[in-house]
Amino acid sequence: MNSATPATTESAAPILRLQNVDKLFGDFVAVERVNLDIREGEFFTIVGPSGSGKTTLIRMLVGMDKPSDGNILLRGTRINDVPANKRPTCMVFQSLALFPHKTVGQNIEFPLKIRGVPPAERRGRCERLLQQLHLPQDYYGKAVGKCSGGEQQRVALARALAFDPEILFFDEPLSAIDYRLRKALEKELKDIHRETGKTFVYITHSLEEAMVMSDRIAIMRGGRVVQVGTPDEIYNRPRNRFVSEFMGEVNVLEVARDGDRLRDGASGALLQGPAMPEGFTKGFLVIRPEAFRFLNGTADATPNRLEGRLYNEYSLGSRMQYQVHVGGGVFLVEKLREQRYQGQLDDSVTIGWDPAEAMLFEE
Amino acid sequence: MGALTTSPLMKRLLAVWIGAILVFLYLPMAAIALASFSRQRYFRFPVPRFDTRWYEDAFTSLSVRDLLWTSLTVAAIVTVISVVLAFLGALAFARYDWKGRTIYQKLLLLPIFFPQAVLGLALLLWYSALGIPTSWMTAVFAHLVWILPIATLVISIQVYGFNPAWEEAAYDLGATRWQVFREVTLPVLWPGIFSGALFSFLLSWGNFPLSLYTTGADSTIPEWLYAKMVSGYTPLVPTLGTLTTVGAALLLLGAYATIMLVRRARRAEDGG
Amino acid sequence: MSLETDVRALESELEDADHTRRRQRSSLWTELGDWLRQPGALLAAPPMLLLALGFLGPLLLVAAFSLIPPKTFDLGGAWTIRNYVDIVTESYWISFAWSFALATVTVILLMLICYPLAYAMTKVFGRAANILTLLLVIPLFVSENIRLFGWVLSLVKGGVLPGAAELWLGLDISGLLYTVPAIVLGLVYVYLPFMLFPMVLGLSMVPDRLREAAVDLGASRWQLFREIELPLAMPGILIGCLLTFILALGSLAESKILGGSAIVMIADDIESAFTFAQNWPKGAALSVLLIVLAGGLVFAVLSRLDLDKILGRG
Repeated sequence: MNSATPATTESAAPILRLQNVDKLFGDFVAVERVNLDIREGEFFTIVGPSGSGKTTLIRMLVGMDKPSDGNILLRGTRINDVPANKRPTCMVFQSLALFPHKTVGQNIEFPLKIRGVPPAERRGRCERLLQQLHLPQDYYGKAVGKCSGGEQQRVALARALAFDPEILFFDEPLSAIDYRLRKALEKELKDIHRETGKTFVYITHSLEEAMVMSDRIAIMRGGRVVQVGTPDEIYNRPRNRFVSEFMGEVNVLEVARDGDRLRDGASGALLQGPAMPEGFTKGFLVIRPEAFRFLNGTADATPNRLEGRLYNEYSLGSRMQYQVHVGGGVFLVEKLREQRYQGQLDDSVTIGWDPAEAMLFEE
Repeated sequence: MGALTTSPLMKRLLAVWIGAILVFLYLPMAAIALASFSRQRYFRFPVPRFDTRWYEDAFTSLSVRDLLWTSLTVAAIVTVISVVLAFLGALAFARYDWKGRTIYQKLLLLPIFFPQAVLGLALLLWYSALGIPTSWMTAVFAHLVWILPIATLVISIQVYGFNPAWEEAAYDLGATRWQVFREVTLPVLWPGIFSGALFSFLLSWGNFPLSLYTTGADSTIPEWLYAKMVSGYTPLVPTLGTLTTVGAALLLLGAYATIMLVRRARRAEDGG
Repeated sequence: MSLETDVRALESELEDADHTRRRQRSSLWTELGDWLRQPGALLAAPPMLLLALGFLGPLLLVAAFSLIPPKTFDLGGAWTIRNYVDIVTESYWISFAWSFALATVTVILLMLICYPLAYAMTKVFGRAANILTLLLVIPLFVSENIRLFGWVLSLVKGGVLPGAAELWLGLDISGLLYTVPAIVLGLVYVYLPFMLFPMVLGLSMVPDRLREAAVDLGASRWQLFREIELPLAMPGILIGCLLTFILALGSLAESKILGGSAIVMIADDIESAFTFAQNWPKGAALSVLLIVLAGGLVFAVLSRLDLDKILGRG
């Protein structure tokens, strides 16, 4: 397509490789020593809270900013200094950046017009894209401002696809969309990814969103990549407390070693955790709400038993969540609706969990 | 919503107030128009006899033609320069984040917050100290000092609504810098630029305090009118006054119509 | 579990990165270069240059002229504060006082006149506001002396108002022109848009849902005005007051055309010093005094305002 000529592709070689990429703004280090390999055809998501450097990172990948140090390689060719308009990649912006003075059709055809594609051919490509994205054909002449939020998403995606990029980047395009529509669009996006077979690189602050769509996920914090893995790996083996907490509501207990057991700082309870690393003195025990069960009598042999009071109950649709107060500590417990707790608020309850289901982090 | 509806009485009172203010604003202009059609050399109300002879005089007068030409030249040149500079200035004012921007915003506004007569005299002093002979060209510069900040403000309001991501998206989709400017920046900011041009032209066209001290031997219409007002009334004063007023109003209406036509054309495009 | 060793490996890796990180040193020159390389600074340069040459330069020159002996035209000579002493000892304070008094009265009248109008334009007559705006803008583009002359024709003996009063009411109101109230009328008339439009901008900054919330919480009409509308619209109102005050303070045409020789305002004094009296140093000193008084006010108000917030909504 243009200057970044594709090298001969070994099957193992990544389409995009980041080597020690740094970005400094004055004295502020926005992105620090990032190493990533993004594979051909995968849906790769970079997740991080605001300020984690993910936006800065994607701007460098697209060509809007230059790295202060390190290399960005596209099929083995260094593209650090190739400006955005000369790269065979493009991005769907957070604000979508649909041109307000152009119609839906003119927006979608924009990259083709820039490339000098004749009008008739442009029109044909545009119509196919409208169809692929489930937009009515008569939207061709519609003002973008008159489209709904979901339609605008599709127009923005169609415009990016019209460019026919080697990698399609997404800068949190769904963040301003309401929950239900967002859920639908996430799936639609994954379908489009399957249909086109292109490499998608997506950034978001929502790990939940990332889990739905991605083949692999990178988690960023403070300008650094903290963990890279498949959704399963991230969910089952978070590398530290930050990643485990990032996943959603979890119980975090500040614990200190007490012999071969752990003492919870808030409730004072003595707990059995997973195997302790050598030299462990204090840290955090992370327990997912669904790991808890309500214990009835002594039939259950788990060594972790906490006596508390049922403070409140929340319905989450298919699941129920409970807030249980144990001494000074507050625990969130989650059960499927059909296994819900039978009883009343302020009941005395006993909750327990298997030691292996908790995660222990030094920090 | 219901809590905020204005009572019918209140609405009527406000409407009366608006009407009174419009009468207040337009009464003197109406008086001038009336005087211009009065046959008498000296104006009296009610007007005993109407006539259009002063208009015939005005249209055939060579000095009026000179005045018109000077005023038009000054306004046209001021418009071109001020729109170009104000476009740049507005991008710096409202679009880019840079160190010094808040100070720049305030410095730029100072000439608006400044008595024009004093500014005109200061410029007169400045020209004479620098040995620059005053003419319509020095008046152009004087007008710019006052009009550029206003045009910048007008365009800035449009620029505030501009999303830089539009340019980035175009650039990302392969456009060159020039294509980005032509395809995105200019068309999106066009209404602001157009209003900026309109403001520049009309404010220069009607300016009097700056022209008074900076045109030297040349004279614009407002200046000439002032000279005649304070010494030696002629019925050409209301006549020319009416003509410039009607000219300005026609230009405004023309501009308004242009905007409407462009909008309709865009909408028609949408439909097809 | 291998997780813990992973964590430790990662952390030591990050610490290494911290140690190897080197901060760039910057000198004054590279800083200046960086500043100039900002696109904003670059774009602001041409307008700033024009204002430096057309505004700052002349003002500095005026300041310099105010410090040379009276009735001289040479900046090379000895410097003196004679002009300022003269101004204080002569009766110039009267024209200053008139200017300040009339500007104050003008601002107060304009606030009272414009607030209901601005309120009606932003909050009541939504759809008609555009055409109303156009009607209110048009006079702005007609030279102020033409419009003031319209008032002369309206107020003069035998003019529109006295003529009509005599014709239909049998009243004689021929003494209107060339009085102080006529000057105030002219000031209010000419500067009305300068109060109105900032006020409209200010009032449009008051979100309707806040007003609804206040009414919902039991605020009366007066409390709504006092607690919500006025404070939130204040930036716009302040700009309007400042603008009209300064412009009225330095006005010239109103007192000359409508006031005849009823009073002398300060701009009039400045003009005569520069023109008839050919006493540039005194004119310059009077200008400097006016600029300092007005400029102090402008700085005091402008430094409190966030222009992005006011204009960004426009």
